Amino acid sequence: MPQITTNWSGVITNPERKQSYIRRVREIDKNIGSFLSFNPDLPGSDTTVKGALGGMPIAVKDNIAVTGHPLTCGSRILENLVAPYTATAVQRLEDAGAVVVGKTNLDEFGMGSSNENSALGTTVNPWNNDRVPGGSSGGSAAAVAAGLVPLALGSDTGGSVRQPANFCGVYGLKPTYGSVSRFGLTAYASSLEVIGTLTRDIDLMETAFGIMSGIDENDQSSVSYEDSVVPDSDISSVVMLSVGNDMLDDPVARAYMETGEALRAAGYSVTEISLPSLDLVVPAYYTIATAEASANLARFNGIRYGYAPDFAENPADLMKKARHEGFGREVKLRILLGTYVLRSGFQDQYYGRAQKIRTLIRKELESVFSSADLLLMPVFPTQAFLKGDSEMDDFKQRLADVFTCLANLSGLPALSLPIGVENGLPTGVQFMAPSFGEQRLFKVARNLKDTFPLQTPPNYLDIGSLV
Amino acid sequence: MKAHDKYDVFIGLEIHIHLNTESKMFCSCKAHYGDDPNKNVCPVCLGYPGTLPLLNGKAMELGYLVAKSLGCKTAIKTSFSRKNYFYPDMPKNYQISQFEEPVGVDGLVEADFGLSERRKIRIHDVHLEEDAGKMIHAGDITLLDYNRAGYPLLEIVTEPDLRSGEETESFLRDFQRLVRYLGVSDANMDEGSMKCDANVSLNHPGKGLGTKVELKNMNSPRFVRQALNYEIARHAGILDTGGSLVQETRLWNENRDITEVMRRKEAADDYRYFPEPDMPSFVPDKAFLARVEAGMVELPLEKKRRLKAEYSLTSEQAEFIHDEAATAVFFEESVKAGADAQNAASWLSSDIRKLLNRSSLTLEESPLDARRFATLLGLIKEGQISGKIAKKVLGKIFSDNLDPRDIVTKEGWFQISNPEELEVIVKKVMMENPDVVSAVKAGDIRQKGFLMGQVMRISDGKAAPELSGSILDELLGNST
Amino acid sequence: MAQVQDEWSITAELARLELDENEELILAREAERMRELFLTMSRADADKPEPTTQAVELNNRIRPDYVDSFNNVESLIEASPEQEDDFFLIPNVL
Repeated sequence: MPQITTNWSGVITNPERKQSYIRRVREIDKNIGSFLSFNPDLPGSDTTVKGALGGMPIAVKDNIAVTGHPLTCGSRILENLVAPYTATAVQRLEDAGAVVVGKTNLDEFGMGSSNENSALGTTVNPWNNDRVPGGSSGGSAAAVAAGLVPLALGSDTGGSVRQPANFCGVYGLKPTYGSVSRFGLTAYASSLEVIGTLTRDIDLMETAFGIMSGIDENDQSSVSYEDSVVPDSDISSVVMLSVGNDMLDDPVARAYMETGEALRAAGYSVTEISLPSLDLVVPAYYTIATAEASANLARFNGIRYGYAPDFAENPADLMKKARHEGFGREVKLRILLGTYVLRSGFQDQYYGRAQKIRTLIRKELESVFSSADLLLMPVFPTQAFLKGDSEMDDFKQRLADVFTCLANLSGLPALSLPIGVENGLPTGVQFMAPSFGEQRLFKVARNLKDTFPLQTPPNYLDIGSLV
Repeated sequence: MKAHDKYDVFIGLEIHIHLNTESKMFCSCKAHYGDDPNKNVCPVCLGYPGTLPLLNGKAMELGYLVAKSLGCKTAIKTSFSRKNYFYPDMPKNYQISQFEEPVGVDGLVEADFGLSERRKIRIHDVHLEEDAGKMIHAGDITLLDYNRAGYPLLEIVTEPDLRSGEETESFLRDFQRLVRYLGVSDANMDEGSMKCDANVSLNHPGKGLGTKVELKNMNSPRFVRQALNYEIARHAGILDTGGSLVQETRLWNENRDITEVMRRKEAADDYRYFPEPDMPSFVPDKAFLARVEAGMVELPLEKKRRLKAEYSLTSEQAEFIHDEAATAVFFEESVKAGADAQNAASWLSSDIRKLLNRSSLTLEESPLDARRFATLLGLIKEGQISGKIAKKVLGKIFSDNLDPRDIVTKEGWFQISNPEELEVIVKKVMMENPDVVSAVKAGDIRQKGFLMGQVMRISDGKAAPELSGSILDELLGNST
Repeated sequence: MAQVQDEWSITAELARLELDENEELILAREAERMRELFLTMSRADADKPEPTTQAVELNNRIRPDYVDSFNNVESLIEASPEQEDDFFLIPNVL
């Protein structure tokens, strides 16, 4: 059992500690806004919790279903929805003793890289409240960074776990596609996304992953993890993505270089490589993601659940009004794009082409991993940017997804890990491994932990000091 | 069943059947008719966020089974696609269907249209998909019941090889029979377990396909025939005057016996098909294919031909007996148990059919089994009972659920075959009807029937007819 | 520009998105920008690679044909915006 579990045991099961905890969370979160709903006393939170996670409080991104908790997806169209079932990944953690204490804020339906696209609340970066926590799992990242929970779940479609983890200075894992069940994850891009974890403790990360992963009868795209684990050989060779001088902000570039050096010092061989298809990654990603999203979000039409307008003349009117009044702008834009790229007459040129590029990218990465154990890349070109559009407009944000959506297009696992703090803001990098290579990701994270110890933001909830 | 005199007629069908599975296509809700509204639903078939489709293995087997029996090339790898359109009865506003890789393509069905030539109807493809919910319109509201949403459907698309309303009706009935034989579907058009849309076009001979019109809302094979014949006449009329047809969808109005243009549906025409990301492809393995093979039965057309040949039946008899698999089984078992084929066929299509209709039972449900039937026919053959009595015995088998021999014994219905006993009866009749006797002797042979009738009446139908007849002849002759 | 606008209008209709005038303009412009980004994909060779149609290749996952009913069907009907008895309710289609 990881040390951190012991630190957190009793927080939920001991009534006094629990009250203390709740008070402190509410105090801190008033300024951060990581939770859309905080319900530590819901029926599921049994006071006699047993299991490997022994009563550990966890936060779950509000696009993942937990019975009895809201499932808003950060959207008006689901503002009143309460989940009637629980996601498999969450259920497995609950069965191991975890207690879901609240649902965290997100970019609406997972669409965004700042958390500013939420229609239901604002979340700020615990390191600097003028800045964004990243997205779309911004609430989960902020909650973990601020120490409100030791573990939070997010979803990673194009970087939505890794980028906010990076902005908030915590670990963020995007597992191998299919290794964690998607049952209960509100679908945005079905073939690209997976439930991921955010935490400050790599041992806990590994434990949680072990509990959550594995084939699920409720998800026919889930795969059996045991069968395909890549042998944990003597991991020693890292390739580093060659990134142009002006692509990264200075602090980010510095952290990137330092990581390469630290790896060499630790005995890894580090060589630079480039990916020929890198500039095709973002257009291919957005084509596929929006296409799948346009179909996945079609179900929200004001009939079976969620928001409906007070009056509509006929069903067509009802559906349009519900979607018009219920969806935010970014969501409408992506649905529009996704519908377009599938249209008869356009599909070959856009969606068809994107799927071919996807194959190209998979092949390129296969070739990379045939002679290297890990791929080192930046996560995002900048540190956490300012709230509002001034520094990074939506379009620029999307282009900046280039480093993260590689893992989603290829289905490979990737871990973002914090390296340092500069200008009061976290810096970090990410490692990518071959399919089912999560072990080597955890290993390299451990190897770098002492060189780059995690730091804490101001107003951090130190559970050790809680009465 | 002639094709049109003046024009080439092209008719193609899109048939949907509900598959006989316990659960729905993509979730474990009950797939069952007639339950209270919205009882058989769950987050999956209601399209709740975060739910995923879970493929029903049985539905896949049945899909392959039908594809195989229609002579299709069955897929080595089959996969699903999303068909995207919005409609209130659609829980996800896309239907999971099959597009690129259906379970079967390029099939061929032999059709017996009663003509000397045997025609083959080509099957374009057979594919799996899910059904939508039901809408009930009531004033200014519509009520939605999603019990049916997610039902497993199999769609069979034919090439435009049919040529008339009659052929199409015949083809549809053959198709119903086929899938019922296989046990994959009830295929009832009035219950909704089978639906049929048709495409029809006419053109000048040799010019290929014409402008096609889609026909919907035909709720029985008979209406399909009527609707198509109506349409064909309408097209012909337009072509006759040199006009041209509009490609459109029309609905059959069964109250007015006409087709009418359908109001444009909400559904967009551009379905934007793309591969279903939640469901990996399916590659049937040996075990699966063996299960499919195990489901194959002797198909109706083969059975009909074999029955006719093996048992020397008439076309009509073979047609009737093979119409339901259970009847054919019953027939063959009866013959095996000793019944004469001709007699069995004859009784099945007349008296037994009547009794089944009257009692609203199927053969399997009825008290008549092959053994009892063979015994009954045997009693007639042995001369133990007359044909007339046999009918009464049959009635009692149904009403009292007893063996024929027991019934005959209990009722005392054994035929009177003792010549002395018969003589007594005949003499009595002759004595009571002297005028008729004189008439017969005088040459009016017809009146003999009356006398025989009296013999039967007095003996409660038990007098052995032939023997009584010859005794009567003797006595009539002797007294001359 | 009008023709481009039409394409996005048609697309919006297909997606049942009713955009007000303001939205239409802004979204069409942003969508156009993204579409132009997408067009850069033409740099890739159209013929060679097979498209990736499925993230997980072959799986042959099937569910056995048993009934397993959801344990709280009532809650699903109650969660709908409008109901009548046990039906979901919407304005009439016609």
